[in-house]
Amino acid sequence: MKYYKLKTSILLAGALLIVESCSVFQTKQIIDPNSPGVETVLSNATASQLDQLGIGVQSTMRNGFANLRLVAGSIGREVYNLSSTETTWVTELLGTTNGGFNNNTGFNGSYSDFAQTRRRADLFQRSANNTSTVSETQKNSIRGFCNTIQAWAMLKNLNMQYQNGIRITFSDLAAPGDLLKPGPFVSYDASLVEIKRLLDLGATQLDAGGTAFAFTMTSGWAGFTTPATFKKFNRAVAAEVAIYQKDWTGALTALSGSYLAVAGSISTGPVFTYSTTSGDMTNPTFKVKNDIASPVVAQNLFITEAEASDTRVFGANAKVALRTTERSFAGLLGKYDVYMYANNTASISIMRNEELILMYAEASIQNNDFANGVIALDVIRTSAGLPKLAVAKPTILVDKAKLIDEMLNQRRYSLFYEGHRWFDMRRYNRLDQLPNDLPTAKVYTQMIRPFAEVQWDLKNPQ
Amino acid sequence: MQLNFLCKGHSTLRLFLPKVFIIMKLTVFLIIISCMQLSAKVYSQKITLSGKNIPLEKALHTIEQQSGYFILYKYNEVQKAKPVSVSIENKTVTEALILLFKDQPFTYQIENNTIIINEKKPAPEKIQALPPKNIKGKVQDEKGEALPGATVKVRGSQMVAATDASGQFELSNIPDDAILQVSFIGYKPREIATTGATNFTITLEMEESSLTEVVVSGLATTIKRSNAANAVSHLTSKELTGSAPPVTIDGALSGKVVGANIVANSGAPGGGISIKLRGISSIIGSSEPLYVIDGVFVNNSQFATGAGAGPFSGAGANQDQVTNRLSDINPSDIESIDVLKGPSAGAIYGTRANAGVVIITTKKGKVGQTRVNVSQDYGFSSVAKLLGSSDWSLDPIGPQGQNKFDYVFGNGTKGSGSATEIALWQKATAEGKITDYEKYIYGNIGNISNTSISIAGGTDKTKYFLSAGLNDETGIEKRTGFQRRSIKLNLDQTLTKFWTFSIGSNYLNTGNQRGFSGNDNRGVSVPYTLAYTPNYAQLLPVDGVYPDSRYTADSPVAISGRAVNTETTNRFIQSFSSNMTLLNKPNHTLKFTFSGGVDFVLTEAEVYMPEDLQSQKSKPNPGASRYSKNRSFNTNYQAFLIDNWKLFKKIDMTSQVGFVKLGTNNDFSWIQGEGLLPKQRNPNNATVRTASETFQQWTDIGFVGQQEFNWEDKIVGTAGIRFDKSNLNGINYNKYFAFPRGSLAINITKFDFWKYEPISQLKLRAAFGRTGGVPNYGATFNPLGTTIIDGKLGTVTPTTVGNAAIEPETAQEIEGGIDLGFFNNRLTFEGTYYVKNVYNLLNPYTISSGTGVTQFNAYPVGDLQNKGMELTLGGTPIKTPNFTWTSTLQYWYNRTKVTRLTIPNSIVGSGFSIYGRNQLRVGASPTAWYGTPNVADADGVLQSTQYEDAQPKFQASWQNNLTFFKNFELSFLLHRSYGNFNSNLTRKQKDVGGTTADWSVVDNLWGMPGVPNGKARNPSNPGVTAREFIQDASYWRLREVSLYYSVPKVYLINKLHNSVQSLRLGVSATNLFTITNYFGYNPEVSNFGNQSVGASVDNTPYPSSKRIFFHLAVGF
Repeated sequence: MKYYKLKTSILLAGALLIVESCSVFQTKQIIDPNSPGVETVLSNATASQLDQLGIGVQSTMRNGFANLRLVAGSIGREVYNLSSTETTWVTELLGTTNGGFNNNTGFNGSYSDFAQTRRRADLFQRSANNTSTVSETQKNSIRGFCNTIQAWAMLKNLNMQYQNGIRITFSDLAAPGDLLKPGPFVSYDASLVEIKRLLDLGATQLDAGGTAFAFTMTSGWAGFTTPATFKKFNRAVAAEVAIYQKDWTGALTALSGSYLAVAGSISTGPVFTYSTTSGDMTNPTFKVKNDIASPVVAQNLFITEAEASDTRVFGANAKVALRTTERSFAGLLGKYDVYMYANNTASISIMRNEELILMYAEASIQNNDFANGVIALDVIRTSAGLPKLAVAKPTILVDKAKLIDEMLNQRRYSLFYEGHRWFDMRRYNRLDQLPNDLPTAKVYTQMIRPFAEVQWDLKNPQ
Repeated sequence: MQLNFLCKGHSTLRLFLPKVFIIMKLTVFLIIISCMQLSAKVYSQKITLSGKNIPLEKALHTIEQQSGYFILYKYNEVQKAKPVSVSIENKTVTEALILLFKDQPFTYQIENNTIIINEKKPAPEKIQALPPKNIKGKVQDEKGEALPGATVKVRGSQMVAATDASGQFELSNIPDDAILQVSFIGYKPREIATTGATNFTITLEMEESSLTEVVVSGLATTIKRSNAANAVSHLTSKELTGSAPPVTIDGALSGKVVGANIVANSGAPGGGISIKLRGISSIIGSSEPLYVIDGVFVNNSQFATGAGAGPFSGAGANQDQVTNRLSDINPSDIESIDVLKGPSAGAIYGTRANAGVVIITTKKGKVGQTRVNVSQDYGFSSVAKLLGSSDWSLDPIGPQGQNKFDYVFGNGTKGSGSATEIALWQKATAEGKITDYEKYIYGNIGNISNTSISIAGGTDKTKYFLSAGLNDETGIEKRTGFQRRSIKLNLDQTLTKFWTFSIGSNYLNTGNQRGFSGNDNRGVSVPYTLAYTPNYAQLLPVDGVYPDSRYTADSPVAISGRAVNTETTNRFIQSFSSNMTLLNKPNHTLKFTFSGGVDFVLTEAEVYMPEDLQSQKSKPNPGASRYSKNRSFNTNYQAFLIDNWKLFKKIDMTSQVGFVKLGTNNDFSWIQGEGLLPKQRNPNNATVRTASETFQQWTDIGFVGQQEFNWEDKIVGTAGIRFDKSNLNGINYNKYFAFPRGSLAINITKFDFWKYEPISQLKLRAAFGRTGGVPNYGATFNPLGTTIIDGKLGTVTPTTVGNAAIEPETAQEIEGGIDLGFFNNRLTFEGTYYVKNVYNLLNPYTISSGTGVTQFNAYPVGDLQNKGMELTLGGTPIKTPNFTWTSTLQYWYNRTKVTRLTIPNSIVGSGFSIYGRNQLRVGASPTAWYGTPNVADADGVLQSTQYEDAQPKFQASWQNNLTFFKNFELSFLLHRSYGNFNSNLTRKQKDVGGTTADWSVVDNLWGMPGVPNGKARNPSNPGVTAREFIQDASYWRLREVSLYYSVPKVYLINKLHNSVQSLRLGVSATNLFTITNYFGYNPEVSNFGNQSVGASVDNTPYPSSKRIFFHLAVGF
């Protein structure tokens, strides 16, 4: 009997405890303790949230850039990545693999990076559209900025995908505004048309964007920090699109609205900045000299085919440096390291006056304005320590084909390892002129369409 | 782990010797299986036998001799026979038997060439009532040792007694004709008629089969194995650690659990094992089972150390090559392990049980004298296999007369080989400085020492088990190793007649030093860089200075000698349980149980690369260190009401209702420094400092109801349901998901109509159940990322998106089987077939990468199915006084396929692009490999070619235990895995580096006539496809072999004056040999740790080792 009393009281106490603290049966929805949610900025974003989104776009624009340069540089036979821990850089990428690129190739990494930049720019624009903390004029400046960045990112992917084309439209899949349902792939030409449209739209919006951006322009954009000056960058990208479209007059028109200065410093232009601050990026292209793990070396003809005294190849400011020991790997021999940056916080040019001058030269020559073409090429040659064309190559001054050769050659040296050589040779149908150090290799015309994209279209026929 | 002799003081020499004699006679019990091996001779002899009052046994012997038949009987039963007076002349065996057994209390049966004699079942109880009496007695084992804690019950009544420390029992006021039912776990139960006697010595025989084991049937209940409807694998400490003691418990399971695919991730000390029960149950999750130790849900994570982070190997986040936390547990503390392999058995564990449940029970104190056991193992490990390296030469080996240097250090044309390399080789050769670096690094002998002490004992009120263990192992690579220090206390206390409680406390301190191995992007993984290091390289340290390597970013010798990758864990596991009997009536008991516990783990890791290492010197900020602190705090408790009652007086009903709650609270943080001051490790002084902090917290709640019924062990069934909610389910945090189960077992041999004696068990069983799998933490979130540029903070939308509306994936399983026992379960067979479907499989949904989002983090992408079979044949083919052989043969297979897919074909898991990846495709296994060449499908879309599966076609194991002359015990375990394929990059690395042993052999591979193998297999050869890298990793492996000698008791008493109760010596070995055609250190491998898919990738892992141990165990 005694036991039963004790039992009863224990049971009662237990039951009471459970009933009293019903929280025992409760679970709470988890709010992410580690990061704010996206939904906090998609509507009624505050001024500082918009500011941070703008900085975020500028920061992550840097993603994919180094990878694109290394992939395009390898296929364009400018450089080799002799990585002892990843041989596909010198096998699959150089075209030795049976049947070309692997379906699941790892070399399309920059595709997602630039697509992400595009999405981030678009969501920044949506956040701005969906808040009352900024004025209509300020919204226009954000729209202009975002459309320019989107077009720039799309152009990067289009260059890699070429005739595969890219997707130019999106709609929503899961929630309004999520942009997750892509439109169909459109052709290379149609993609260029869309990119041009976005740039022109962006230019118009920047014109209506007042005198200052409603968000911080970071230091790499010095000189391009207002809607009016940023528009010069917009026009420079438009000129590049026009060059791809072989719209030489259009290119010249766009260049006139850009920061082209034939007589100015060739280095003018926005840059990507890097630092060792926690959370920031360091220059991903920087490598110390004589690295063994994965040295990026120049294809040897870049040195042997250079004109003597070209400061881009020889001397203190050269883009390559002779290695103390040759690096021999998988049938490739690296004698020269690519050495374009003094340290890992050096800035990388996004697009500088040097490239604009070369575009000006190209458009002028193609428009049969050889005189202006030669002036532009001479600016480049002189800055590289080379004699003017009239002295060095007097026979080509009025020879369009030879001037184009010269222009392409100057692009090769001025824009070395900046993701142009492969595209330039492709534009002029000269891929077969690129050197092939491995007898079993071949030069690709374009990247393979990413596996996820192919599979998406299979499952979701458009 | 060791034998223990109880009953001190009862064994004197005089008593002992006759006992041995009796035991020998007792075991005249002959065996059928060995008889079966005899040829089918025709026995036509006639029997002649006559005499008066001949003992029956003698008569039987005569018949045996004359007929050639074997006669099978129990000695002690036949002793009860009346002497016979017969006159048989020239009769057949059958006729002779009829005469002989006319008035005997026996039945006989003729089976082929064997005659089986059995006692007649006792006649129904007589009506005549004799006065009640008091009895007493002793229960002992075959060796005469007392069995404390055995149950003595009067049949058909509630009168019951338990034996005390010296095996004695007393029962008062029992009917004179009562039948005693005597039982003890691990022994065959016996029934003894008490008529006419008051003092008994009852000897129980060891159970030869596992059928009387108790296995888990619910969260708070257990069931006899002979009644279980599921094929639950039950492993005792003897099976786990009795033969070759493993350093970590996961290693003890390999080859022993039918239905499990167990793979060692790496050969580094401290283990690292991935276990998949009945195929994979998830794509996104790890497919690792839930581990429960004494009721505590324990953590088996692999905590990141950062060894794969950018400044170190750069291999990536899931490639730290770490161990899993189960390695913390001291194997010698474990009493048994139950493995609930699928949802039909594990349904009652709800949302955490999709991949199965492993229930670990630790050792407890027993009533009786205090026993102190001390054991010391000492062992050596050495590399199981080295891959070797080939020599260099200028001999022409290619079709145009190319030499090896032309291929490895040139572009493959004659004379293109680097002159510098040739000169270096010539110089090294001339000076005799050719080094086998693989042997230099992995050719060392590791030392292993396991010391353990345990003290166990108890009274009928308090029982305790206290143990302490010390494990220390050095690896085959210098500066690698594993250490464990553990203290464990289990305490069981009876408070009152109706209330008992237990607590268990375990403190563990483990450390491991794993070096750098596996995949690598920085030239620091030792086996990786070895693949690129020619034998003429000069890397040996000179006066303590390590020369730089010309071939890789860092010298493997320097990394092995200087880099640090170490992990230390401090862990508390605390369990408690309380059992309260609320009602105790003859046919009705009601219990309230409350149990649970806490698992607190703190793992601290250090990864450090000195600033003057070659690979660091080439960095902008040389010198890197990372200090990680991973803290996980898990709590769980459950409260159950268990009602045991009788339905129609015949059906035993157990009803239970309960509530379960689990909580997890994690905090993972690290700080990293790059650009360290010389000799300085603290990241605080570094040029670039990065830090990370991650919090995780979630709760699961479940309600359980279960009804079990048992109709006299004839039909046993269970029906139950569990309702679970978890706030990992996003916006469904408050929604309950139901997980039902049901099972039925029919013991045909228990029915009265079953007369066929040789088949002692025939059980048909079927079970159904459902379990869940919750989304990974964070799969529901859409976090804004942060980024810094120009010193300013920016936010960015994520590249993957969360799915807040997610629900758990569910697995549903139907399993059916048959269990057979022959000849009193001397031979047993267990066959199981199951179909396990996983519905709404959670997986990242890969979306068009052009949208800037790569995936939904969790999405119900489809269904998959696992089908498989598990067969176990076990028995004691030979049992004689001087030789006993027990053997278990297991065979199992599992097939997996995707049955529904709502998303495009998607790459899943980890892997290296051209060397094979896994994909989700309808109708195919998600662990199948895919690779080049790309082939156009029906729609003209290029798809990768499908190759074989990483999952074995079948596995088999053969466990044997042989006892000679009582004191010698030989065991071995042979394991076969067939048809499992790995994505193997190890040979490719060596081919590119020119170090494969057969590099210069010309086998005309890959359509390259005349080209040496090392070049022909190289992926730069356009003809090479993924076929080259997806390789058959089937193997035969002798996992364990051991020989033990127990010093005879006689010797202990005579020579050691009884100061030592037991003394056991032994020698054992693990992984002594492996037969395989696979190229690699070990066909069992996972570069990516515990993953459900993409795990079987071999990329220069730490080589596996074989171990030899010497054992000494002393009991006081």
